[in-house]
Amino acid sequence: MILKTKQLSKSFGGLKAINKVDFELPKNEIRGIIGPNGSGKSTFFNLVSGIYDSDPGSYIEFDGHDITFAPPHEIATYGLSRTFQLLRLYQDMTVIDNVMSGYHTRVPYKFFDAVIGRKKIWDQERAIKEEMMELLSFVGLADYAELNASELSGGQRRLLVLARAIAMKPKLLMLDEPAAGLSPVNVDNLMKIIMQLKEKYGLTLIIIEHILKVVMDTCNSVTVFDHGQKIAEGTPAQVKDDNAVIEAYLGKKMDDEEMRKALAV
Amino acid sequence: MEKFKSIIRDYPFIAFIIAFVILAFVPSVVFTDVYQSHLATLIFVNIVVAAGLNIVKGYCGQVTVGHVGLFAVGSYTAGTLFLYLGLGFWATLPIAIIVTAFFGVAMGIPSFRLEGPYLALATLGGGEAIRLFIENGNFFRSTFGISDIPTPSLMGYNFDSPDRYYFISMTIMIIAVYFSFSILRSGVGRAFMSIREDPICAAAAGINVKKYKILAFILSAMFAGAAGAVYAHMPPGYIHPNNYTVIEMVTFLAMVVLGGLGHIWGGIIGAIVITIVYDLTRPLYKYQLLIFGLTIVLTILFMPKGLGGFIDRYFLEKRFKKKTGTEKTT
Repeated sequence: MILKTKQLSKSFGGLKAINKVDFELPKNEIRGIIGPNGSGKSTFFNLVSGIYDSDPGSYIEFDGHDITFAPPHEIATYGLSRTFQLLRLYQDMTVIDNVMSGYHTRVPYKFFDAVIGRKKIWDQERAIKEEMMELLSFVGLADYAELNASELSGGQRRLLVLARAIAMKPKLLMLDEPAAGLSPVNVDNLMKIIMQLKEKYGLTLIIIEHILKVVMDTCNSVTVFDHGQKIAEGTPAQVKDDNAVIEAYLGKKMDDEEMRKALAV
Repeated sequence: MEKFKSIIRDYPFIAFIIAFVILAFVPSVVFTDVYQSHLATLIFVNIVVAAGLNIVKGYCGQVTVGHVGLFAVGSYTAGTLFLYLGLGFWATLPIAIIVTAFFGVAMGIPSFRLEGPYLALATLGGGEAIRLFIENGNFFRSTFGISDIPTPSLMGYNFDSPDRYYFISMTIMIIAVYFSFSILRSGVGRAFMSIREDPICAAAAGINVKKYKILAFILSAMFAGAAGAVYAHMPPGYIHPNNYTVIEMVTFLAMVVLGGLGHIWGGIIGAIVITIVYDLTRPLYKYQLLIFGLTIVLTILFMPKGLGGFIDRYFLEKRFKKKTGTEKTT
């Protein structure tokens, strides 16, 4: 198991955004997370990546490390990388700097070497830059390397965020709605790149996605959230026919008797 | 030429040594009177402060308006060390840098919780508090100022006039700029920039946000401390609390903003331009604040990346056109 949570909870005031979720994820799996808006998917990501503190009694384990109380930067050093629903692009930095800043946990030299500015540093910096240029050309942004990130189009930004998250060579990559706002052609292209990256780097993936076709086609297994609780888990086919899932998305099927009662009130 | 370029790329300090040699000949070749050497020293002091301010404000994005307080700490550490212990420049400079670094930590702690205008208010309070503390303390000679701070001497040679002190301030400036250059070009500079752009995403990418924020404050404080000590020992060796008011802060800010926030040479370009303009507009001293305030506002409105960014942009667009053969769409 690369990621394991036990009794994971988080409440904002009286609202239980995540309520006692037990979650297990084996290595090399592609897990989809679906659920209606406000069901706690993004909160789950924020808890695991350490951006929110979880409520007492929760337990999160990543790759053998207890990360329940770890700050986000420490979790990142264990090899967990994520993207954000609102991208959080570094707008005023160049594209290549964006990707290189994702490399931070792997930077080999010490601070004082950098202050003195030894030759070693510039050699290593150049090596990093070359590696990151390779990554950029893999996602197809090499031509834009020196432009500001704010000058990219929406689809290019999604690719850049993906490249930035990959730059740290994570073990687990968590993608928060990677395909939101893309046209169907671009979605296919993006998913193809994600799959290639998974093969290349041996990633484990968690994908939150509202486009069900993407989830059903690419994921090995799917977890469904509703009202902060895990309501179903299994292969895409199993989840598709699960009554609780259908209820969460479409509402409950009623017979005539129930309908009459509901309308009377 | 290509070979020379690659040598500079591997050993950037060679470029700084060349700059040192060129600048060393400037007083004897270019300058016509002593006052110009004095002005050059002021420029160098301002460059050191602005380079430091660029780290914390331009790169790390922490809006600090109390930097002049740190500058004052540097000056007064040097001044009081001379006053009570009789120490000379070579002893006071490192002590001033270390003491100011501690004040930098104190100035940086609010940045964990505050950002933007709120942090500006907190640091403004910090800077003013330092000045008022100096102004009202007999220990620091309050409003009399500390006078007769000696100029440094090295191996029997005393740098006791502006044209001689020029070499001291220039050396410190070259070293400081070299350090800021290597720090900002490395991964540390990138970490600072990502904190400026988005602290949450920076944390998720493995950057220890608090550590790097404090690091930025310490580094810039050290620059300010060094500049302060150089300023205190500058002939005629007189410091007064009135040299560390908000007005000075506005000029420092104007330097960094005009030169280009987050541009590696930004503070340096700005310091040169603003110090010269400041000197030329001395007869219009009533309007100086107005001029610098307007400079900040107009630069942010029409040239948000400052002179440095403007120049960069020009070359970038040229390169992009050559590479892709198209005009860029922005």
